[in-house]
Amino acid sequence: MKRKFTGLILFLWVISFGIPDVFAQDATIRGKVTSRDDGQPLPGVSVLVQNTTIGTVTDIDGNYSISVPTGNSVLNYSFIGFESQSVQINNRSTIDVVMVTDTKQLSEVVVTAFGIEQDKKTLGYAVQRVDSDDIIRTKQPNLVNSLQGQAAGVQVTNAGGAPGQSARIVIRGINSLSPGADNQPLFIVDGIQIDNSTVESPGTPRGLSNRVADLNPDDVESMSILKGAAATALYGVRAANGAVIITTKRGKAGQTEVNFSSSVGFETPNRIPRLQENFGQGFSGVFDPTSFWPSWGAPISEVAQTVPGHKYQNNWERVFNTGVQVSNNLNISGGSENATFFGSFGRFDHDGIMPFSGWSRTSAKLNGQIKVSEKFNFSSSLNYINSGGNRVPHDRFMERMVYWAETQDVRDYINPDGTMKTYGSNTNPIYDARFSTFEDNVDRLIGNVTLNYKPADWIDFTYRVGADVFSDSRTEITPGPKGIDGERPLSATGFIREIRINSRDLTSTFIVSMQKRWSDKWHTSLRFGNDIFERKFDRLSSLGQDFVIPEFFNLSNTRQVFSDQGKSISRLVGFYGDVTVDYQGTVFLNITGRNDISSTLPQQNNSFFYPSFNLSYLFSETFDLPSWMSFGKIRASYAEVGKDTNPHLLGATYVTPSIYPLDGQVGFTRFGGFGDPNLRPERTSSIELGTQLGFLNNRIEVDIAYYKNNTKDQIIPVPVSPATGFTSYITNAGEIQNEGVEFMIKALAMQRSDFRWNINFNLSYNDNQVKSIREGIDEIIIGSQFGYVGSTVTMKLIEGRPYGDIYGSSYTRFYSGGRPEGVETLDRNLPLVIGANGFPVRDGTQLILGNAIPKWFGGIRNDFNYKNWDFSFLVDWRWGVDQYNQFDNFLSAFGLNEYTNDRNDTKVFEGVLSDGSQNTQEVWLGQGVGPDGRNYGAGFYRNTYRSVSENFVQDASFVKLRNITLGYNFNPRLLEKTFIRSLRASVAANNIILYTPWDGFDPESFSAGAGGNAVGFSGLGFPAVQSFFFTLNLGF
Amino acid sequence: MKNLSKIKLILIASMMVFLASCDEWLDVNENPNNPTDAPIQGLLTNVILESTMNVYRAGSISSNYVQHLASPNPSSSSDIMDPLDFSGTWGSFYSVMSDNTDLIRKAEDLGASHYVGVGQTMMALNLGMVVDMWGNVPFSEGFTFETVTPVFDSDQQLYAEVISLLDQAITNFNSTSTVTLRGDDFIYQGNIPQWIKFANSLKARFLIHTKGKAGYNAADVLSAVSAGFAANADDAKMNFFEQRRNPWEIIALNNQNLLLGGWISSQFIEALDGTSYPVSDPRLPLMVGATDAGEYIGVPNGAGRGDAPERGARSVLIPGQYYTSRIGPVLIMTYSELKFVEAEAVFETDKPRAYAAYLEGIRAHMNMLSVDNASLEQYIAHPSVSMGVAVFTVNDIFKEKWIATFLNPETWNDARRFNYAYQDMTLPENLNPNLNGQFIRRLAYPDSEVSRNGQNVPSVTLLDRIWWNQ
Repeated sequence: MKRKFTGLILFLWVISFGIPDVFAQDATIRGKVTSRDDGQPLPGVSVLVQNTTIGTVTDIDGNYSISVPTGNSVLNYSFIGFESQSVQINNRSTIDVVMVTDTKQLSEVVVTAFGIEQDKKTLGYAVQRVDSDDIIRTKQPNLVNSLQGQAAGVQVTNAGGAPGQSARIVIRGINSLSPGADNQPLFIVDGIQIDNSTVESPGTPRGLSNRVADLNPDDVESMSILKGAAATALYGVRAANGAVIITTKRGKAGQTEVNFSSSVGFETPNRIPRLQENFGQGFSGVFDPTSFWPSWGAPISEVAQTVPGHKYQNNWERVFNTGVQVSNNLNISGGSENATFFGSFGRFDHDGIMPFSGWSRTSAKLNGQIKVSEKFNFSSSLNYINSGGNRVPHDRFMERMVYWAETQDVRDYINPDGTMKTYGSNTNPIYDARFSTFEDNVDRLIGNVTLNYKPADWIDFTYRVGADVFSDSRTEITPGPKGIDGERPLSATGFIREIRINSRDLTSTFIVSMQKRWSDKWHTSLRFGNDIFERKFDRLSSLGQDFVIPEFFNLSNTRQVFSDQGKSISRLVGFYGDVTVDYQGTVFLNITGRNDISSTLPQQNNSFFYPSFNLSYLFSETFDLPSWMSFGKIRASYAEVGKDTNPHLLGATYVTPSIYPLDGQVGFTRFGGFGDPNLRPERTSSIELGTQLGFLNNRIEVDIAYYKNNTKDQIIPVPVSPATGFTSYITNAGEIQNEGVEFMIKALAMQRSDFRWNINFNLSYNDNQVKSIREGIDEIIIGSQFGYVGSTVTMKLIEGRPYGDIYGSSYTRFYSGGRPEGVETLDRNLPLVIGANGFPVRDGTQLILGNAIPKWFGGIRNDFNYKNWDFSFLVDWRWGVDQYNQFDNFLSAFGLNEYTNDRNDTKVFEGVLSDGSQNTQEVWLGQGVGPDGRNYGAGFYRNTYRSVSENFVQDASFVKLRNITLGYNFNPRLLEKTFIRSLRASVAANNIILYTPWDGFDPESFSAGAGGNAVGFSGLGFPAVQSFFFTLNLGF
Repeated sequence: MKNLSKIKLILIASMMVFLASCDEWLDVNENPNNPTDAPIQGLLTNVILESTMNVYRAGSISSNYVQHLASPNPSSSSDIMDPLDFSGTWGSFYSVMSDNTDLIRKAEDLGASHYVGVGQTMMALNLGMVVDMWGNVPFSEGFTFETVTPVFDSDQQLYAEVISLLDQAITNFNSTSTVTLRGDDFIYQGNIPQWIKFANSLKARFLIHTKGKAGYNAADVLSAVSAGFAANADDAKMNFFEQRRNPWEIIALNNQNLLLGGWISSQFIEALDGTSYPVSDPRLPLMVGATDAGEYIGVPNGAGRGDAPERGARSVLIPGQYYTSRIGPVLIMTYSELKFVEAEAVFETDKPRAYAAYLEGIRAHMNMLSVDNASLEQYIAHPSVSMGVAVFTVNDIFKEKWIATFLNPETWNDARRFNYAYQDMTLPENLNPNLNGQFIRRLAYPDSEVSRNGQNVPSVTLLDRIWWNQ
């Protein structure tokens, strides 16, 4: 392998020698550069001796020192976002400079790969920044959710309304054909990769957290979203799905500041399906107080005349609590010239709408920077988090709600002796939620140490080492019988499951940066370095069944214990280089290369190189543009990124099924997956074209990006015939393409003396296509979700079709001239075929009924400031998306939907008979013998409606008022006499308006959780919520 | 300048050292969870457990076709003989046969001929069941990943393979083995003479399927029978465990918890309660549960339970009976079945022996169920059972074998050979219209195989017969 690096080393060697040594020097000038806005020092300001290539940049405290050869008399100071200045030296040895913000120049500093801050306008690819204010204002405890609607090309979906529940983020579409692949971006906090996995519960879904939910949004200074392969090329394999670079808050030299914020929020379900309130417990229109059937019985009003207390209980409204969120954050920052710090404490408590659901997070963070000498500085950050809560079995809860009779009080769930109060054989959902517990407890440390050594003006070395370590301790308990006569236990034996997860990510990064100004016009910078990453993961799970002493919940108190363990380790070594050429601040060319070596691939294929090229051209610097156009840039990039795979996949292995040991014997079987011993890395190639335009003195900024990403040689578990000896063959097979356009508009819509109105708009379009799958393989199944009697739907991938197609059964359609061969997609516009029995005919053929990946999504934020008031609202939307509405399927099977009110109607189904003539037969929709004397059995909804997937694959588009906030900042003059520096009060509401054609709970919730790719299934998820917040911010 | 050179030197030198250690540092991909090799004992244990489960899985498919069981739901696909996707069951059979391939290969390398024998016996059992359900199936190109799309071999050739495997197994059982079979054998706990009887009995079972086809020789069956099971104690069955419960018990328990399943067909009830035949069978209350009112009422296949409630009004499998006890056995093949095989094989040549074997088959099954002696003798003595050699017909063999192989997939092989001509057996209600009023003759190839190996999957209908049924 060493040979492969000879080239790289030679390359670095040549470059190292290519850098000329420092010139002869005469006078030394020192000084400090500050910003006029806040008087704070400005680091990174470029100081250049005019008409020479001699230059330096200011350090973290704004200080600089430069040697000026005799004969030179002017220093140029420039920094992105500020007006450049030329200062006469006039024999001074100290020159302090105050920089003025450049209002005319369109500038935004974004953080790119490895924490490098760059001016967005110079970049050849799209990067978007979301700032602290915009994050905190969303009132989302999960940092991922705070990106909803705020960034183009970034689709964020909240898995549901459970406290701490995961949120999924996908940038520029799904890149992998593998059903189990992680399609979410890399998360970097202060230069260190952190874990964002979602480890769901075994058994019934309980809505666990994605690990980024551990971060306290209050600690975040900004998030920078690197979308395409060009932006992430330097991160290599780990960022093949994009990257989110999080920068946390830091201290500033000066007076110590204390900020305290406190917020309380209340939440309720934002939407409930439309339900019928007329029919109660029983079947065939007959009332039965012990019936399993919740509402196929007699009209409630009829029964109420003879049965006291019989009424519609409004269970679906009453079963939920008002959820409460309480958040308190305290941070202290400050420091001296040589050392700054930022410390914070945060506590967040959340009780969900589903009874007994809860989650809390406690975090403490310290960031510090120390300047040891002029050449050497040192920074470190440490973040401790404890998070977790009780995760109720939401899917089972909602399913039991479907079965629970509409005329039985669901809140009356427990007897005085602690056993379940119920009727018939039903399990009360609240009782189950209370006693069938699942608690997780995460202790996590994220930390890094960064050393920076700058021996000369033109070169610096940065070394950073960091770790993300967590343990996740989970305890699941379902009690067995208490031993009380007549009780209905939740389980015949009861069980306790203890899961221990230990995860450790280590990152080591070494970067050498060099800068060289060749002349007034040419400037280059070079970076190269090395990156080492290791991830270790260990999960141990023990299941104890059958408690000896009831209600003593300990593994040692069970009659049988089963254990299993899953370990993994993966390591990665990367080398990279990055050259940027800047011509006159007008044309920027950036070339990068990276070579990764991954432990997860076969040795002969585990080292791979990939390049990227970015070009941007600020044409507004060259051409005279009309006066209304103040800025113009075009950019183009081409990049490749390689991607490795999960660890421990290669070759054939054996496993012990979890049922063993049996009678002291342990069985072995072949593991179903066979990993290709010649596996190669995946390759994504990406083209991006874009433009950034400024109008009316840059009051309006428009950014448009077009991209096309192709991921080839996908590593996928190809399902193979089990007759081969394996069920899946993990190999390179298939290609997927994502093509899309992103629009962003930022505008200062109005500015009067006391009034400002800002608009931020983004809109994204993505088109995805499966270009190929291995020959001989027709389809890859991503997932399926249950529906009654043949209405189960499946998400699968087929060549030539986009990701996200949902297949299922439908009503048979009439094709004049007979059904053509090869119909794949249901055409809902064709007439239904009505059978001889007068009912629509079901077609069990699996047809495409919809697609679960939105074609369009976007958001718009409006911010208004008037004197001390501020007001903002964020609206986001998605359309061109369908989902399987499992709730609707269940509700219709049990006669709960509002539309089943027509159960006793007689109607003629619109459609044609098999011969094409119009159907005229009247049929009754009810159960049993109809008015016409015919026996209709279980009735239309149970016999026909619930068995047709088509009825439940529905348009899941929406427009949401995601957040609306009104705030008041107290006038600092009023506070002058107090110890309070600043005071702000605000009220906010989330999700109070939802517009969607979908009938049911909020269609945003889906059952797979953030880690799953089967996003087309709403499942019986935890309902989404709307919330109201009251917040107070205090500064001292 | 000096400084700089030093930096460069250090940089490059350290990089070289780093790269040298890189290879080793990155060599961590060996699977820490799954071993790359498995002991033959462990493979054998799982092969036996999963083969037994395969008998259950196949039985749970066929029991509705032979009308032992019926679905409580109207027009249930299993009852009305719709094409169903048994990808999961197909996968289970091929998984066991893959493990068997490894077991045989590793045991041969070790000279553990008894392990080879068990491997070959179980391979024959699984392969035979797969052929009986699906006909042509992959085998010769299977199990070793030589191709991702293995061809389908002809069912007739595979039958020869099954018999050959059993002959090899018998030879291997008679050789000395370097490794002794012990508690890892959940069927016979290492009793090799019983394994030899089992292999012979299986041979008799598969050979009798070919009765009437070219190459069939009754003498081959009878020599296998004579070397086969000699008593109920020889039965090939596997008892279950506290922590791994009998799958039929799980069906019965689930049904109690309203996950409906294990409902008894009215065909079965009526065959035993004196409706179809003029005798009440004492085995009925030992095999299935009664209604709350103490009656035995079945569900007509395809019709569903009608207005009967979910519980208490129909006969169902109930936990705790012979077939449904928690740690009780799943029967792979019984002495009783072998006696009926003998009766059928010898019927044309030695009718008295056939008659005696028939009666012994009934007795063996009744003894297995612990029918009390008085009831047993009373049943046997009934003129419709002990009809005498003269009027004794093959139909009587099939009738009693149908009861004695309750829930076993072998019943479906018999039913097809017998053209479902059991007394009073009628087509299920709402029969799949594509069957043109006929009973199902095979399973459809599973969807998974069609989507993964479509080019090789033969095109068949549910009426196309397995070679021995043509």
